Amino acid sequence: MADAVPRIRAKSRWGLLTATLSEQRRNLVIGTLIGLAWMAGKIAVPRLLGLGIDRGIDGDDNVWMWAGFIACAGIIVGFFTAFRRFFAFREARWTETKLRERLFGQIMSLHVGYHDRAQTGQLMSRSSSDLQQIQQFVVMIPITASNLAMILTVTVILVITNPFLALVALAPLPFVNWAGRRFSHSIHPAVQAVQAEQADLTTVVEESIGGIRVVKGFGAEQVQADKLSKKADDIRRVSIEAARVRARFLPAIDLLPQIGLIAVLGVGGMQVIDGDLTLGQLVQFNFYVALLVAPLRMLGMAIAWGQRAAAAIERVNEVLDTAPLVSDAVDPQKLPAGQGLGSVSFGHLDFRYAPELPVLTGFDLELEAGQSIALVGGTGSGKSTVARLLIRFYDVDAGSIQIDGVDIRNLTLRELRQAVGIVFEDTLLFHDSVSANIAFAHPDADQAAVESAARLAGAHDFIMELPEAYATRLGERGYSLSGGQRQRIAIARAILADPRVLVLDDATSAVDPSKEHEIRSAMSTVMDGRTTIVIAHRPGTIALADRVALLDGGCVAAIGTHDELLATEQRYRDVLAAMDRPDDASVSAATSRGGGVD
Amino acid sequence: MWAMNAIDEDDRLDTDEARQVIRRAARMAAPFKWTVTAAIGFSSVTTLGLLLGPVIVKYGIDSGIRQLDSGVIRNAVVMYVCVVAAAYLTSRQQYVFINRAGEGFLRLLRVRVFNHMQKQSLAFFDRNKSGVLVARMTADIESMAELVQWGLLQFVGAGLLVTFSFILLLVLSWQLTMVALLVFPVLVVAARKFQRDSNTAYLDVREQVGQNLSTLQEGISGVRVIQAYAREPEQVRRFETSNRGLYQSHVQSLRVSTWFFGLVEAAGVIASSLAIGIGGWLVNRGDVSIGTVIAVVLLLAQLFEPVQQLSQLYNTVQSSAASLSKLFGILDTTPDLLDGNQALPSTGVVAVAGLGFRYPGTESKILKDVSITVADGERLAFVGPTGSGKSTLAKLMARLYDPTSGTITFGGVDLRDATLASLRNRVVVVPQEGFLFGGTIAANVRVARAEATDTEVRMALAAVGSLDRFEQFEDGIYTEVRERGSRLSAGERQLVSLARAALVDPAVLVLDEATSNLDPGTEAVVEQALESLMSGRTTIVVAHRLSTIQRADRIAVIDAGQLVELGSHGELLDLNGRYTKLASAWASSQPSQSDHPQLRTDQTR
Repeated sequence: MADAVPRIRAKSRWGLLTATLSEQRRNLVIGTLIGLAWMAGKIAVPRLLGLGIDRGIDGDDNVWMWAGFIACAGIIVGFFTAFRRFFAFREARWTETKLRERLFGQIMSLHVGYHDRAQTGQLMSRSSSDLQQIQQFVVMIPITASNLAMILTVTVILVITNPFLALVALAPLPFVNWAGRRFSHSIHPAVQAVQAEQADLTTVVEESIGGIRVVKGFGAEQVQADKLSKKADDIRRVSIEAARVRARFLPAIDLLPQIGLIAVLGVGGMQVIDGDLTLGQLVQFNFYVALLVAPLRMLGMAIAWGQRAAAAIERVNEVLDTAPLVSDAVDPQKLPAGQGLGSVSFGHLDFRYAPELPVLTGFDLELEAGQSIALVGGTGSGKSTVARLLIRFYDVDAGSIQIDGVDIRNLTLRELRQAVGIVFEDTLLFHDSVSANIAFAHPDADQAAVESAARLAGAHDFIMELPEAYATRLGERGYSLSGGQRQRIAIARAILADPRVLVLDDATSAVDPSKEHEIRSAMSTVMDGRTTIVIAHRPGTIALADRVALLDGGCVAAIGTHDELLATEQRYRDVLAAMDRPDDASVSAATSRGGGVD
Repeated sequence: MWAMNAIDEDDRLDTDEARQVIRRAARMAAPFKWTVTAAIGFSSVTTLGLLLGPVIVKYGIDSGIRQLDSGVIRNAVVMYVCVVAAAYLTSRQQYVFINRAGEGFLRLLRVRVFNHMQKQSLAFFDRNKSGVLVARMTADIESMAELVQWGLLQFVGAGLLVTFSFILLLVLSWQLTMVALLVFPVLVVAARKFQRDSNTAYLDVREQVGQNLSTLQEGISGVRVIQAYAREPEQVRRFETSNRGLYQSHVQSLRVSTWFFGLVEAAGVIASSLAIGIGGWLVNRGDVSIGTVIAVVLLLAQLFEPVQQLSQLYNTVQSSAASLSKLFGILDTTPDLLDGNQALPSTGVVAVAGLGFRYPGTESKILKDVSITVADGERLAFVGPTGSGKSTLAKLMARLYDPTSGTITFGGVDLRDATLASLRNRVVVVPQEGFLFGGTIAANVRVARAEATDTEVRMALAAVGSLDRFEQFEDGIYTEVRERGSRLSAGERQLVSLARAALVDPAVLVLDEATSNLDPGTEAVVEQALESLMSGRTTIVVAHRLSTIQRADRIAVIDAGQLVELGSHGELLDLNGRYTKLASAWASSQPSQSDHPQLRTDQTR
């Protein structure tokens, strides 16, 4: 079982599944054994019924004895039916659960470059609908095993009892299986067509609701109503098409076995008259034929599901087989410990996201411990990339980044990312309490530490006004905060992490300008005495840093204080003018040092 | 009226509510009653066909085998074949008919709910999250598809099977019917318990699935933050907790259902054993024939499966009823923007008098006693800080909402008395972002006036100076803009949006200026298009840019829901009040030196 993980990398499409299932071998064997017991019980019933009729009713045995046997068989069958089902489904759920955890772990460890390309929706469907299909297939494994055993045993019994009658009675049954398979194949595209039409209708609904202001503004309700009505017609049309497919197959699948029953009555009836068969045996035959219907039908389904599961496994494998491009050093070094540390050196970096698009070329920058610098540049100048390289979201193509003299690639990712804190432009908060969000970096931090971080970030006051203060749940499904409030929580999160290097990536851009000063003061508190890289375009924010580096053409084009660059660099003025958008009138900017208003 | 019924998230309906919902759905399905009747008719024949099999077997045994009459067996075989053939044909038809009725009903529901949603005012859309509304139209209706496709049929079929079986049993032998009556009630009681337990388990699974999915999604979309803080192990653990919770609820739901499946299986066999026992005794006494006993055993074999099917169907019915109840909630929301009956004059003064407004369901007034008159052809700019109410005021002037107090008139007619059609012809709102629908450029312009000819569409595009630009596309103005207009640039989307306004050719234009910048090239084109659109029309603009403000005839400064200053740029600067402060703050956040000389020239003008 220890070799389960390497086996997942096997080329075989089924490798992943067999590796996972081998961990559940014991329970699958138990499940199959239960299935065999179930089969024995199921097979006993028709035989006992036949004997009951022949010896109990037609013969001289006590009929209640046979009735008792049948009842006992019934209890056994009931018991094992339940257990067979329980085991099959439980094991399949467990496979699904384990695979989902493996997928999530892999998703967490995959490099950011992978996530840039992968869509959330796709990864979601790998972890939900694809696993669902695998799960449905796994259910079928022990069930199909016992079904197959039953089909074989019953066929053997029938052939031994009466070969000719067996042949006549069983003749239509392979068609049940065949029709089941054909049905699965035909219904699949029909169902997909319905789903495609439903998706089209969803688009119309989404745009009508998203664009309700346009719809209302122009009184275009009828236009959208016509569109929707057309889509609704389309759904109805393809749904009825799908119903036709069902109408073609399902009644046939249901009724084909009846032909076998008719044959038993006709041929078997004659044999009873001739004395070659007893009445009980005739009834027994009847029940055996009926017994085979469900397993045969399921066999057809199992094959179709197996094919779908194979495709799902392949898609899941694709994710699990991707090797993370950014990983821990083989022989990691440690950062030096002590006071007054946090120097950063970017040495001649080259970096590109795609071969034809160089972002940084020969980027050099030195930061002394405790110093702060603002990176300023136009769109695509690579200023955010610098931050992403510093925490190894990507690895540089050439050159090296060092923190306190250690190449960051020689650190473990964990140590590096604990040393560098970053506040992103879009603040993602988790569906968890305010405290937990702030204590994200150190979940065991005490309340006092959380509160002091919140105070430093200027967030304590508004947090206290939330419905449940620090226990208020945030995030997608939680209490919604304003952009500025979210940003301050994110800053508190970074403060609590207490990194030796802090990166503030456009931390004020999402904030209403009239609230910007509150964040600025939070930022300046945090920056005090800490190596900080500020990425910004608002003069007031830029002015918080000791120095400013102007990025242009993939490297540092000029470096100096804000006022120096403003005075000497035309490019700097251009960049600021282009980037700074005229916001809603606000008085806050008047407090900034860089505005230069009379 | 502002009750939250339209966004009721509760999936647990009690029996009474469920019954009411189903009754209402039945009324709504009235147009399909003949289709449904036909489906039930076909289903009856199919079910009867299946049940006649055992009776034919009895005939074959008692009159054929026991009498050693092979002719009867041949007759029985022919009868059996006919019955199965008939059942096959009607069975095919039942699928077709029930789906025709069901899909027809769903179509009706889609169209009705959508149209009713669209009738609501903007307040409705402010109140209900768009995701929830989309879910009503999609997931909630789709959840009923399963029921339509096979559930209803199974429901009808199972009901008929049980009824017909008992009738046949009674006809065959009342004594042996007692066997079924001994076992059946036990099963019904068990089924009720199963329904209750499984519904709870089912809802629990649904909840856990939802929770697990959002934990998953949060992990995926937050992967950058998680990696930046090196919290992967904790997130994996967190996910495991929710994932294991889901597993546990799956297992719980299995536990609840498993025993029931076993019980149904056992009950069928035990009933057969009783039939053999009692039947044997009755045969010995000469009360019934052996063929009857066999027919009863065969009938009993089919009797218990429907109970199981119906019980499994229960969850589907429950969740469909819950979905329906949410949809009815929307249908029950009365539209609050009613049509008037007066036509608006073609031109006129826009007069706002004593206007007060608060958003429905909120406490504080967003506008307090605003009065302002906009002359025909005047250009008025609204300025003020975020949340001052300036955008709301503009929306009220286009009657996207109705005022809480006070009036807004155009050419002397209260907007509430005007027909919505004439209002949308006189007053047009151009939203901040150019929002496009799927379809061609031409179709997007035509949103403003569905009956416009191609020439009119071209003229509208030409009026905003963008016809040449779009004609250069491969398919010209018939180019598909793709989802949300992704084929076009932000500036081009704005142009299409402006062409819509040009197509209407309104007397009053309400503009909410975009806060974000376009690329400089398109910016100039859009600016020009706006300028030509505004010329000769009354224009009310919610302004964010100094240049726009400076071009306005008058500027209204809105603060905390009140009109605090009104006048031209020069006049207001002379006041040295609120506007002057705003203007200087503005300038300071725009370090581009070019704004300063302008401000100064204006001051000295």
